[in-house]
Amino acid sequence: MTGHGRSRLGGAFAGVGLAAFVDEVVFHQLLHWHHFYDKASSEAGLVSDGIFHAFGWAAMVAGVFLFADLRRRGSLVKPAWWSGFCLGLGGFQLYDGTFQHKALELHQIRYDVDLTPYDWTWNSVAVLFLLVGVVLLVRTRRRR
Amino acid sequence: MTAAVCVAVAACCLGYVAAAVRLRARGDAWPLARPLAFCAGGALTVTGLTAPWNGLPLAPLRELPPFTGHMAAHLALGMAAPLLFVVARPVTLALRTLPLGPRRALLALVRSRPAALLLWPPFAALAHTVSLWVLYRTPTAAHLHHRSEAQLLVSLHLLLSGILFTLAVLAVEPMRHRAGTGLRAAALLAASATHGVLAKSLYATGPPGTSYAPADLRTGSQLMYYGGDIVGIALAVLLAHQWYASGGRALRRRARRHGAAGARATGSRVTGSRTAPGRITPSQAPALRPARD
Repeated sequence: MTGHGRSRLGGAFAGVGLAAFVDEVVFHQLLHWHHFYDKASSEAGLVSDGIFHAFGWAAMVAGVFLFADLRRRGSLVKPAWWSGFCLGLGGFQLYDGTFQHKALELHQIRYDVDLTPYDWTWNSVAVLFLLVGVVLLVRTRRRR
Repeated sequence: MTAAVCVAVAACCLGYVAAAVRLRARGDAWPLARPLAFCAGGALTVTGLTAPWNGLPLAPLRELPPFTGHMAAHLALGMAAPLLFVVARPVTLALRTLPLGPRRALLALVRSRPAALLLWPPFAALAHTVSLWVLYRTPTAAHLHHRSEAQLLVSLHLLLSGILFTLAVLAVEPMRHRAGTGLRAAALLAASATHGVLAKSLYATGPPGTSYAPADLRTGSQLMYYGGDIVGIALAVLLAHQWYASGGRALRRRARRHGAAGARATGSRVTGSRTAPGRITPSQAPALRPARD
């Protein structure tokens, strides 16, 4: 894999890891908006949550070590890393906001409030990150 | 019965410390963190084994409700103690200090085919995971109630399958075949995901045939979920650090070869690489940068 590919992969791991970290620390533990378990949780929802929760923190660890590896090899391509980061972060958040929260009804963003503004903000932020990631990806591709 | 096992664990700790002292006395390096980790693992094991299912014998934890207490003991025995035992590398220590006969026998054992199968990461992960599902999703837990001998066997099984899994993931002892980093990471990921799913499902429904209070189930299952995360992250960091360090060694080898070739070409003397582990000096870096396509 080239410096570009490895940088993008490392960035994607870091992005997924950060999204999972913020989700767990801010929304589960600090704000207590997300619930650990929702009575509506389906079996598929639990399996999806288990896989993505484990993958989230594994991605965080992998992202940090891949970044260190790219730095010491001198092969870190910053725009490619940032494109991977935005794609990973936006992709994970969009998956969480649409598939896990809505389709599988694992848990909602917040309880006892009108969910519409929360869901729209959540998923718009995700799409915004994805768009920035795509723009960076196209630009780094064109420059090569 | 439990007392005998606890005495055996204490004897193992004493044996480990004695061997480490002998090794250091003869001038070999053996980090102090290892005996400390091994003894901490021993202490956790004894705590987990002597804990009655309805709470730990330690005063601050005595008030734990039954399922939460059980889960605390399970975390100590199945995850935390195995990690502490494995990072202390007891097999390596034994191989360095045992007399020749027993040393050969031990080496033959750890390099044997059955050991290789047990330590194959997918097998070890499956064994560890299946044990948990059988324990919590079949009437096993209900049958174990008030049968201390059977409970002890289950505890020992949890401890052993935990050690096997941790060793398979970290692969720090001499083994017949060391699986690749990718396979070990995949086994860790799969086992962690399954652990999380089981923990979350216990939040809603307890083990069949048991009647724990809902609040107890909720605390216990969250303890299992987040406790599993902590040990899983620790394993992932150790595994990633192994990968990083071995990459650094490969880079230094390449740099040395490159330096030697360059020195031959210019006729200058080769000096050994004195860079810190995992670090490449700026003068070496351009040569190592992969060509862009």
